[in-house]
Amino acid sequence: MLLDYDRLGWLRVALVGFTAAVAAFLLLPVVFIVLLSFGSSRWLAFPPPGWTLKWYQQLLADPTWIDAALTSAKIAAMAAISAVIIGLFASFSLVRGEFRGRQLLRGLLLTPMVLPVVVFAIAVYAFFLRIGLAGTTIGFVIAHTILALPFAIIPITAALEGFDKSIEDAAIVCGASPLQAKLRITLPSIRIGIFSAAIFAFLASWDEVVVAIFMASPTLQTLPVKIWGSLRADLSPVVAAASSLLVGLTLCLMIVTALLRRKLSR
Amino acid sequence: MTPSFLSISAVRKTFGAFVAVHDVTIDVPKGEFLTFLGPSGSGKSTTLYAIAGFQDPSSGDVLLEGKSLLSVPSHKRNIGMVFQRYTLFPHLSVAENVAFPLRVRRRPDGEVRRKVADMLALVRLENFADRQPGALSGGQQQRVALARALAYDPPILLMDEPLSALDKKLRQDIQTEIRRIHRETGVTILYVTHDQEEALHLSDRIALFREGRIEQIGTGEDLYLRPASEFVAGFIGNSNFLPAEHLETAAGAATVRLADGSIVSGLKTAKPFGKGQKVRLMVRPEALSLTPGPASAALAVEIVDTAFFGDRRRVVARTAGGDEIDVRPTSDAVEPVGAAATGQRIYFDPASAFLFPV
Repeated sequence: MLLDYDRLGWLRVALVGFTAAVAAFLLLPVVFIVLLSFGSSRWLAFPPPGWTLKWYQQLLADPTWIDAALTSAKIAAMAAISAVIIGLFASFSLVRGEFRGRQLLRGLLLTPMVLPVVVFAIAVYAFFLRIGLAGTTIGFVIAHTILALPFAIIPITAALEGFDKSIEDAAIVCGASPLQAKLRITLPSIRIGIFSAAIFAFLASWDEVVVAIFMASPTLQTLPVKIWGSLRADLSPVVAAASSLLVGLTLCLMIVTALLRRKLSR
Repeated sequence: MTPSFLSISAVRKTFGAFVAVHDVTIDVPKGEFLTFLGPSGSGKSTTLYAIAGFQDPSSGDVLLEGKSLLSVPSHKRNIGMVFQRYTLFPHLSVAENVAFPLRVRRRPDGEVRRKVADMLALVRLENFADRQPGALSGGQQQRVALARALAYDPPILLMDEPLSALDKKLRQDIQTEIRRIHRETGVTILYVTHDQEEALHLSDRIALFREGRIEQIGTGEDLYLRPASEFVAGFIGNSNFLPAEHLETAAGAATVRLADGSIVSGLKTAKPFGKGQKVRLMVRPEALSLTPGPASAALAVEIVDTAFFGDRRRVVARTAGGDEIDVRPTSDAVEPVGAAATGQRIYFDPASAFLFPV
């Protein structure tokens, strides 16, 4: 290979150094927040004068935080389920379908990923106000489903493209109806893609803040919205604790995904 | 007349203006091993797919025991099929793969277990029942696919180039297995391949496809020893073709003049040729010899190359007209001839040669 790592010589040192710098640049703010959440300073001073768990105690004692976390989890779960179901149908038509405008449809379904979120948020908000969905759980789930859809479609179409349709044909010749063949053979075969889709769709909703701010009402707040609101009201280390938990859960989900993928693909 | 077991009747398939299959008609008796042989794009797979139900023919009919299959969806045709690519269900064990067609038919558990054991014994993979498909070699996967396709005792088994992904040695082993399984089960097999050796090895009859039509249908011997056309002679086995001019035919024996001016007479011909008509003379490499026989025609050649192939030698000779001729004498029949040996002669029995129109 042209750029063989073993043959780079002294460039290897530069490469490792550069990679480490990029990783540090990406990770330091997160590490910083996590450290602050354990610091005893009320004013988020760094380095912290001492260490404490009281911000976590305050966080867990406050029902509005617990409530926000549960709301986030509920909305993310519902958005993930709907995105995966819609994503499955969409992926089958994108991968298997032979119709004009297929590439156009693919582009359209992926636009939520590239559209400026604030533009999407204002549009959805204005529309939902008019039809009475603003501030409702349903409205929230619909908006987040649209945002999560690209994250569901990408892994499912990838898995479906990697799945040889002859296998489904074989199931049909064996006597399974086309629907049975899909349910019993195709879906289990692409389960890693479906599983990834569910996780990514969940995370897309779980840490989404812009649309969430527009969709939220005083009684319906997700964790990122609550963090945002608290930041503006008072800069308490409780926010750092909440952020750390948010990061922690995301990290756990990613690790579980990686482990399960390895187990399933074996 | 009693209808034949499987009847492919004037099946035609067009894709837009392109005609993939031109009115193919074949009657297949029960228990026959029939191979569709031909180059890629000759319509053999399309015809098979029409029987499987993956592609509806544009016209024509497919009848099984007198009843049309065309209105029956694929999953209700009760046909077995082994595909070119590996199609084992990746998330199911070998045993569950074989059991799948029985499970969708809601057969009782005891019967399923018994049948799966029988089928795995048939393909000699009893010890692999609990393996995952990913842990099997390509040859083993195709044998499991065969077991799965036969598990529900289908009246017809379709095989679409099932061995094309395997290496040569393995291919021959599995061909022998397929012959045995055909004998033991008596299932009617329609087999698609582009490999003429495979077709000769396996089949009761071969239908040779060319550009959507059947060029010739018959036993391997028919196609090899009595080719109906230059295409058949060129596709089955090795052949030498020499341009010639037809002089006369008397009592079924033709006389021609070759490009170097030599006259060959006593040639078999089924078709009548006109005087002076351009023809092609075909001789198999193994019918040629470096020593004269009792009734030999002779060709003046120079020897271009010789090579040793174990049981046979291969001698490449060139006529004065510049045509290369492949000669395959048995190894003990000749002393090795040096390259560029000019002034040699090669001999053949005119009765083993054929004439085809240009």
